[in-house]
Amino acid sequence: MAKEIGKPIFDLFLVVAAATGFYMATTLPAVSMAGGLTPATFPKLISGLIFLCAVPCLIRDSYEWLAARRGRDEAITLNTMPSKKGMMQWLIIVALIIVYINLFERLGYIVSTALFCFFNVVCLIAASGEFQKLNNSRKLRNLTAYTIFSVALSLVIYYVFTELFNIPLPD
Amino acid sequence: MLMGYMEGLGLVFQFGTLLAIAGGTFLGIIMGVLPGLTSAMAIALLLPVTFGMPPVMGIGMLLGTLCGAGASGSIPAILLNIPGTPSSVATTFDGFPMAQKGEAGRALGLAIVASFLGGVASMVVLSLLAPPIAEFALRFGAAEYFSLSVFGLVIIASVAGKSLLKGLIAGLIGFFCSTIGTDPIAGVDRFTFGQLSLLTGINLLPALIGLFAVSQVLKDAFDYDPSNKLQNSPHKVDIARPRFLETLRNWRALLVGIVSGSVVGPVPGAGGSIASLVAYDQARRFSKTPEKFGKGHGAGVVSVESANNALLGGALIPTLALGIPGEAATAVLLGGLMIQGVTPGPMLFENQGGIIYGIFLAYLVANFFMLIIMCLGIKLFVRVLLVPRKQLISAIIVFCFIGVYGVDGDVFNLYIMLAFGLLGYFLNRYGFGTAPVILGLILGPIAESNLRRGLQVFGGDWSPFFTRPISVTFLVIAFGLLVLTLWQNYRSRQKEANSAAT
Repeated sequence: MAKEIGKPIFDLFLVVAAATGFYMATTLPAVSMAGGLTPATFPKLISGLIFLCAVPCLIRDSYEWLAARRGRDEAITLNTMPSKKGMMQWLIIVALIIVYINLFERLGYIVSTALFCFFNVVCLIAASGEFQKLNNSRKLRNLTAYTIFSVALSLVIYYVFTELFNIPLPD
Repeated sequence: MLMGYMEGLGLVFQFGTLLAIAGGTFLGIIMGVLPGLTSAMAIALLLPVTFGMPPVMGIGMLLGTLCGAGASGSIPAILLNIPGTPSSVATTFDGFPMAQKGEAGRALGLAIVASFLGGVASMVVLSLLAPPIAEFALRFGAAEYFSLSVFGLVIIASVAGKSLLKGLIAGLIGFFCSTIGTDPIAGVDRFTFGQLSLLTGINLLPALIGLFAVSQVLKDAFDYDPSNKLQNSPHKVDIARPRFLETLRNWRALLVGIVSGSVVGPVPGAGGSIASLVAYDQARRFSKTPEKFGKGHGAGVVSVESANNALLGGALIPTLALGIPGEAATAVLLGGLMIQGVTPGPMLFENQGGIIYGIFLAYLVANFFMLIIMCLGIKLFVRVLLVPRKQLISAIIVFCFIGVYGVDGDVFNLYIMLAFGLLGYFLNRYGFGTAPVILGLILGPIAESNLRRGLQVFGGDWSPFFTRPISVTFLVIAFGLLVLTLWQNYRSRQKEANSAAT
């Protein structure tokens, strides 16, 4: 069984988020209707329950992590860092999605989508080490293919959704 | 009922609707073939296409997707020993050995017919059971709806996450997110931070697409490894001729599959993998030649594939009759229904009979399309596996953007989608599951408004929630399930600890 530090960190995030949610719910206006419940009651109840459920998870996952770290439990293998390559690929995709959202209306659908598709494919193969293994002519051929793929995909999708399904997309 | 079916027939047997169902089935088959792409994701991605469609056409398309994805997981399972969907895991037990013996076409033929017969049988079960359950649900008041929401959340939390606590946390996150926006009773803004787009609450579609599609893409990006290329199947499949007679000769396995799928289907959270494994195990027990199972026996494929598709109709019963989805795919379908302006639950059967019977018939038609398309396009679908993952990731993200932006042209929804995508990624990674979040988002407003309305009606008295027979039944079952799951979790942890010690 692999244990990674991300588990207790995520549990801690949930505990903090639940406490923050509870605090923010206490700042809601106390408009009491017949029945006695205010708009804050339900969010307070839910965030309180999340907190109560997340604390035992945090304790258990932290204990397991520490036990694995100290090598007490031989059945558990310590996975201190998730794959660096995987993390890099993951971060690239998230960053590209954020950029894509920001450019979506500014550059219009076709240009922003073509750029996103092209950089998405190129960054993924670069981060995974696939690109570096190719010789120069193969690199050029692949880049041309990715460009054609990106432009064709954005044009076809734009036409299908705006013309056939009447879904408005930014020009 | 007859009038309802006649009206439904008129709605389904139109060229546009039939085309939409066929298209949905085709796309569902393609998505089902690709390992890692779930039927929930397929439906979430197809939702924007259905925006402008009439309800039966749109829902028919989504049902076609569900049906196609449910059946096509058998293709990579048989040819490559890779289950396209979790429910196809048991198909590999006999399907792949059959392919190794040079009987890939026969195995696929059996799988297709068994899926078709399972689907048709489940449509019959659905159309027989859903109306009386909906009629019963007409007796529900505020207390019953509140208890039903709690019951739904507990039941999905107990099976979706790796532990009950984690499943509950995921469901409660959905509940909390549903409180964002204008308060339904007092009209006060909650957690909107001055953002106009949040006044009406979190839009269901960005949340759905984020949780089921973006989170999967992020996982694929993390796991992307260019050296993991799938090779084309070495097994020759000239044509997957449907094998009706041979499937019917395996009637025991077929019956076991249909019964297992129909029984497991309505149980919220049980899912296809449980139904198919139960069916496989039972088929082996009832077989006269149990020793042949696992060595390329046709009955094994028949039992699993019939259970897979028999499950879908069963899973639609609580979704349509009570508005409580049983698992991820039906939760997304429920979201699709709501986006179409169709509110599932007993009133749907009362007020929009034509639509509901149209949905039943659309599901039946989808099964016929699945049979035809699978038989004709088997060679094409095998090649889908060879599509490079990096291009697929780009294409899926692009579809997600169209789906979310297409709702109301609001870029803010794209940020909501990304936020739910990131949340879904971590929830899946650390064993919380995403299905309870979406169920919490759907059930949260029902639970809160019925709790508060109920307390208004009962003059602030909580006791009717615990004394009205239907309400208390739901609460008792939910509590019993909580205790049972906690006990099971405790036992399995004890076992793990014991086995580690030895």
